[in-house]
Amino acid sequence: MSIATARRSRLADQIPLVRVPPHQRIVLANGVAVVVMPRPEIPLIAFSAILRGGVMGDPPGKTGLASLTAGLLERGAGARDFLAFAQTVEGAGGSFLAAAGHEAISVGGQFLSHDQDLLLSLLADALTTPRFEPAELELLRARQIEQIKALKDSDPSELLPSYGRALLFGEHLYGRSVIGSEASLARITHADVVSYAAREIGANRLTLIFVGDLDASALIDSATRLFGTWRRAPSPALPVPEPPLLPGRRVLLVDAPDSTQAYFWIGSRGVDKQFPQRAALDIANTLFGGRFTSMLNSELRMKSGLSYDAKSGFARGSKSGEFSIRSYAETDKAVQAIDLTLGTLAHLKRQGVTREQLESSQTYLLGQFPLGLETSADWAAALGEIELYHLGLPYIEGYGPALRQVRLADAARVIRQVFPDPDDIAMVLIGDAARLREAARRYGTVAEMKLTDPEFFWQVVVPAR
Amino acid sequence: MRGFASLLSSLAPAAVLKPRHVAGRDSVTHTTLASGMQLIVWAQRDIPSIALYNWVRVGSRNETPGSRGLAHFFEHMMFNGTHVRAPGEFDRLMESNGGSSNAYTSEDVTVYQDWLPSAALESVLALEADRIENLAFVPEIIERERGVVQSERRLRVEDSAAGALSEAVQEAAFIAHPYRVPIIGWPADIAGWTLADLQGFFNSWYAPNNQTLVLVGDVEPDAALQLAQRYLEPIARRATPALELPEEPEQLGERRVRIERSVQTGLLQYAYKAPAATDARAPALQLLSTLLTEGNASRLHRLLVEERQLAIDVGSVWNEGMDPGLFWIYAATPEEVSVHEVEQVLDAELARIASGAIAQQELDRARNVRAASFWKKLATIDGKAQLIGEYELIHGDWRRMFEIPEGWESVSLSKLKDTAHALLESSRRTVGTLEAGIADEP
Repeated sequence: MSIATARRSRLADQIPLVRVPPHQRIVLANGVAVVVMPRPEIPLIAFSAILRGGVMGDPPGKTGLASLTAGLLERGAGARDFLAFAQTVEGAGGSFLAAAGHEAISVGGQFLSHDQDLLLSLLADALTTPRFEPAELELLRARQIEQIKALKDSDPSELLPSYGRALLFGEHLYGRSVIGSEASLARITHADVVSYAAREIGANRLTLIFVGDLDASALIDSATRLFGTWRRAPSPALPVPEPPLLPGRRVLLVDAPDSTQAYFWIGSRGVDKQFPQRAALDIANTLFGGRFTSMLNSELRMKSGLSYDAKSGFARGSKSGEFSIRSYAETDKAVQAIDLTLGTLAHLKRQGVTREQLESSQTYLLGQFPLGLETSADWAAALGEIELYHLGLPYIEGYGPALRQVRLADAARVIRQVFPDPDDIAMVLIGDAARLREAARRYGTVAEMKLTDPEFFWQVVVPAR
Repeated sequence: MRGFASLLSSLAPAAVLKPRHVAGRDSVTHTTLASGMQLIVWAQRDIPSIALYNWVRVGSRNETPGSRGLAHFFEHMMFNGTHVRAPGEFDRLMESNGGSSNAYTSEDVTVYQDWLPSAALESVLALEADRIENLAFVPEIIERERGVVQSERRLRVEDSAAGALSEAVQEAAFIAHPYRVPIIGWPADIAGWTLADLQGFFNSWYAPNNQTLVLVGDVEPDAALQLAQRYLEPIARRATPALELPEEPEQLGERRVRIERSVQTGLLQYAYKAPAATDARAPALQLLSTLLTEGNASRLHRLLVEERQLAIDVGSVWNEGMDPGLFWIYAATPEEVSVHEVEQVLDAELARIASGAIAQQELDRARNVRAASFWKKLATIDGKAQLIGEYELIHGDWRRMFEIPEGWESVSLSKLKDTAHALLESSRRTVGTLEAGIADEP
């Protein structure tokens, strides 16, 4: 014990800081940005293509359009139909996955380094000549609807954020479910996909990132040849408006009649990617709900045995995403668990953190940071984040030094300013409504829907103090 | 060779990739400490971090009536305090030293994982040694942790259609062997363990000579050995009980399990009796699973999900265990499709596969997809620690991990067909079904 304790203060300084490996960035005449980072140790090339827009381009009522459009990029492109495309990727031992996010569609994967040319040509086909075949849309859309139902049957708590964001942000971009809902997916037509692609996909929206055992100059030549004359989208991606901040409490009860536990989510508006006090905020959240010994997990799991898991986190975009808490407990103990959660939040707001906690959190984050930047795929993802949100390399290289510099007063400030007052929160409960209805009313005005309803929102709930 | 391979793979979708040598075997050292504990160190300095995996040779197969679910319960209890350190101290010190930890339990092993900055190695080894030597059994802590495990079980089984069905299938698939018991234990087991059950289980199976510590990352093997000698070697060796497992009788016909609950999507699960991990057919079984369901171009995905649209998703997994176990094939079905219909289509296809209808191109695709996942896993210290331990404990020798790609290369099409034929025998399977349907409101 003495060894561990005595070393703590010095350990934070002993952990080496992360350096971004050398790389180059060029911009083609039509606006495509290309970032290339050679890492020759392992014979693989990881790639990430970021197309700005994403869910932001979904028209009202048609959430899930970006997600389906992304899915179709790998379901037939250029000379290959869906099966030929899959066989080419998998036959080469590659991986290729397109998905939508709130602010971008991203296409990523990994190929063996001797398939550099193949990777480039597949990526160019998917982005510049997708087929968007109507039959493929029908198939993908039907499956995505069924996947949401399957999740409700076997892992309903995974849908808490979808209900939570809708309750918290309403019609704002961040309130929409990326994968869409059963109802919104059913409304999407082939014409919607074609029009989305014409509007939202093009050279001026694209950043290409390649990391690994690659031939940089050959890769830039290929990228220039394949993407350099690609058409532009009619407009750059629009800026995201700041989401609304609604005071008071709102509660959504989602009825899952056979559920043995109550799964809950508590959220509020958080901060954006550019938030200047990021290091202090990460330190505070680590202590509150970001690691095993966090205050939340200590109270709900370690001290009371109420729950297997309790955690909190910040989702950050170009504008403020959500701060959220998630946990669960047996239905009859839901009130006890939620009260304990809100009490722990109130305690954090009132008491802040101690110097010992601050130092522990600093060392923890410094110690864990390098583990997330180990592989070429990790670097491709990190560079993609930097590009999408215009963060610059200090976002990575400056993080360690910033963590070391956080003082108690900095932690106190972000706790006061960013963590919500327990009276200003949105709350979602998934569970047996017959046994939870009374309990839910303790926390505010309650809206109720069924887990089997085909939407993630019920109505705009009137805030009540 | 590079240009040649590249040309081939762009012309023919499933050109065979040349097997590559897995480097690093000479950087691995294996030592047996005087306490009988095994220490395997793989120095790897890409990041200033270490992955520590402590493999304890105990899982649900070691359990008897009265101790069911205990291997998993210890996965929790090992974080709950010792005679020297109060409950919560392990994690508090781990995290304040920059480390994080987790653990998992399988039918065969319990694995304790730490991810730490290399400068914290000594502190972490002191913590690991303490919980192996001095674990405390405090009644009120045990009661609290019982609540945590009950909550975990409700999440994974009671509130999950897929979890509830697979538990029922696994139970029906075995008659005598303890693989029939769910790793987490049945609710009555979780409620029933006594303090004496816990102490007995720990004394039996947590002897240092029943553990293998794997360290991968930024560490000097000699320095690691010195630290292990200082902290772990003094822990007294003790005898572990002889494990006399009942032999599972030959399965004489298909078994069927149906569960009923209110769901919007159906489920179909097949569990075929399959050999142990050390079986010579291991590489063929691994490739067969990839051939069947891994990737959009895999055989069953194409048929059920894309062409016939009878499944939302299809998967398969061979449980590579110490004893003969199960090879699973499972599908989730859309609301309007009956599970019975999916079963008929799947059976017809599996019959074709069992009778030898497999193309060389499918085998080549499976080999390349499998190899790519293997290389991806080897790219992290975490993946390396997992593989080394898995091959040492389950497959019998960590050195075999370095021969994995050659193993896949050695699988000929006829060997794969023979393996599929022997495996896909309906009289040696258990079928689980759950039909979609929402119960009417009362």
